[in-house]
This record gives sequence, structure tokens and C-alpha cells, in this order.
Amino acid sequence: MFVIITYDVAEKRVNKVCKKLKEYLTWTQNSVFEGEISKSLLMKCMYELEMIIDKEEDSIYLYEIGNPKNIKKRVFGQEKNFDELFL
Amino acid sequence: MLKDHYIFSNGRLKRKDNTIYFLDENENKRSLPVHQIENLYVFGEVDFNSALLNLLSQHEVHLHIFNYYGFYAGTFCPRNRKVSGFTVVQQSAHYLDKGKRLYIAKMFLESAVHHMLRNIRRHKEKTEVYIHQIEEEAKKLDAASTVQELMGIEGRIRQHYYQSFNDILRQDFTFEKRTKQPPRDPLNALISFGNSLCYTTVLGEIYKTPLDPTVSFLHEPSTRRFSLSLDLAEIFKPLIVDPVIIASINNRIITNKHFDDIDGMVFLNEEGKKKFIIEWENKLATSIQHRKLKRKVSYRHFIRLECYKLIKHFIGDELYKPLKAWW
Repeated sequence: MFVIITYDVAEKRVNKVCKKLKEYLTWTQNSVFEGEISKSLLMKCMYELEMIIDKEEDSIYLYEIGNPKNIKKRVFGQEKNFDELFL
Repeated sequence: MLKDHYIFSNGRLKRKDNTIYFLDENENKRSLPVHQIENLYVFGEVDFNSALLNLLSQHEVHLHIFNYYGFYAGTFCPRNRKVSGFTVVQQSAHYLDKGKRLYIAKMFLESAVHHMLRNIRRHKEKTEVYIHQIEEEAKKLDAASTVQELMGIEGRIRQHYYQSFNDILRQDFTFEKRTKQPPRDPLNALISFGNSLCYTTVLGEIYKTPLDPTVSFLHEPSTRRFSLSLDLAEIFKPLIVDPVIIASINNRIITNKHFDDIDGMVFLNEEGKKKFIIEWENKLATSIQHRKLKRKVSYRHFIRLECYKLIKHFIGDELYKPLKAWW
């Protein structure tokens, strides 16, 4: 499944969250990650994130897209990071 | 779900923030999600250190290295966790017993021939002669009593098979004779490149099972190479590599301008390699409804299923019947 994760976390933890997410998904913009991921891996990722954040203060939004064919992504201006087969 | 990444640029691969980081020559940074990666193919000139290798080992990521000409140089394989002494002993026992070895070798070839014929039957009007020749040769497979004999028959079949490409291909690619190390014409270069991708993919799948990749049946097991992946590749070369080659030539995805000729040695250039790899990845990801498993199975997974079937055969669970494409 395709997911988009956005987060708004206190400065103290922002780096930790970002680093954790980098292990699982592609960093597309500041505080935004996206990519294909399996259910189990996503659960693992979310669990690890929950350990980092402070539930009173921080928030993480998770958008799940069941069918990746149903997303249409358009980029205006600079494309900051892209998911590509070749480097 | 797991992805492969191909690195063509020069630069540095490193471990940063517990994930893989790639810095290219122009200081462009890219972080690759380590949990999502299964294989890294390195075609450019890349530096890395043991910190990266440790990370790759933790996540069981394979790092395949190719030289300037696109030839396979080697693989960094993380410590194999899926070892089973019992399976390896049984696998070796099947090698030592002449009859048992011959059975497995024959099965590999039977499947290879099936897939070769399947490829050229699609162009029946033009290839009738070759189909006939191959069928004649294939009849001798059953009677062969040594592995050397089998290899001889296989060589002749492959000769006819590649010859038929002359009538199938729509561009002016011609096949005279198979040349390796180095390939002398574009078609040979494509076959070599495709086959080396196939070997590494098969090896990657073997590593996910307890099979020992050095104990083989059709090819003589020797030191310095993973001959079991050559054996299994026999089945998958005509099933996966050759259709990709034929399609990419006939659909003019790859043309003469995608080759470099250096003193009679012909190689795919970078753009050619990229184009071919995209086709290759698409093909591997294509899935087919499996008759027994009753679910969709990708070409890549078919390779692993083949390994499982071999294990079942070795431990005496089920007789090995090779994959014969039914679709």
C-alpha cells in the first residue's frame, strides 16, 4: 500500500522522528514522507514512532492509499526528492 | 514489495541515521529506506566502508558489484542465517549419486528446452525449421547417460535456438555465433548482460533458502563460483531474459545507438543498460495466477518456488518436477 506520513513534533524530537522515518520511506519534503510499504512494516514503523513522540504535544498524520493506481501526484515548482530506480 | 536500486553514478555509499545514504560526485544527497531495499546493484565507481556493510548485513541487503563493462564482479552477501546442515547434506548426496544427479540435470534442461520452444513458437511461420531441429535434439536428452553428454546436447540446442533469433528480430541485429568474454556484437552483449542479471537474481533467491549455492548438478560444481545459480538460471534464462531481449529489440526500446564498440568488444552503454534494466524489473514484477497455490505469483517468486521444490526433492518429500510455463 502507498502511504503519506506528515508530522508536527516539538523541536526536541523532530530529528528523531525524521531519522526513524528515513529508514522506511522516501523523504519528499520537510516533515513529509511517502512511499510503498507493507502492512507489517508500517505497523513496526508506527510503533517505533509512538515510542519517540510525546502524545500530549506531538501529532503524526498517516494517510493510507489502498490502491496505488488511484493516486495522481503533480509537482509544482521544485521536486525536492524523488523515488527512482537509478541513482 | 522490497525494491532494488541501481547505482550508475560515481560517489559514496554510507551509513547515516541508521539508513543508507548515497552521495554522488556533485554532492547530491539521497537517503534510501533500508527496510525497503533488497538488492543494491553498483555499476558506477562507489566507495563504501565497513559501517555500511554492517548495516546491510543487519537488514540482509545484498550488494552486487559490476565492472565498467557491466560484467558481474561479485556480491557482498550478509551472513547467511538460513542454514540447514541436513538440507546441504542431502543436496550433496544427490550430487554424489550419479543417477540422482542425472535426473536433476535432465529436469533442468527439459524445462529450459520447453521455455526455448515456447519463445520461438510465437513466431511459428518463420522458425519452423529451428523448432524441428530443437525437437530432434531434445529427443536425445532422455537417452543421455552422462552429464557431459547432456551439456553437449544443450550446446547444440542453444546454437539452433540463437540462430532462430535472426528470423525473429525486427531490427538488423544478427546472430552468427555466441561470443562471451568479450561479446563481439550487440546481440551477444545483450545476452551477456541479461544473463548476468539473471545469475545474480537467482543467487539472491537461493540465499533466502537453506540450499548451498555451490553444489550444482548440471554444471560441474567447482570452486570460485556459485554453480547452482547457473543451473537454475538455465530454466529462467529462456523464460525471463530472452523474452525481454526480444521485446526490447522488436519494440525498438534498444537500438544500435545503445552500444559502444571498443576495439571489437561490444557493450551496452549506460542508457542502454538503464533501458534494459527497466524492462527487466517490469518483467520480474509481472505476476501470474499460480495453479497450485491459487494466488498470484511474480516471476521473481517463481525462482524461489523452484528452490523450495528442489529442497523438497532433496529431503525426499516430493519428486522434483521443473517449472514449465503453462500460460
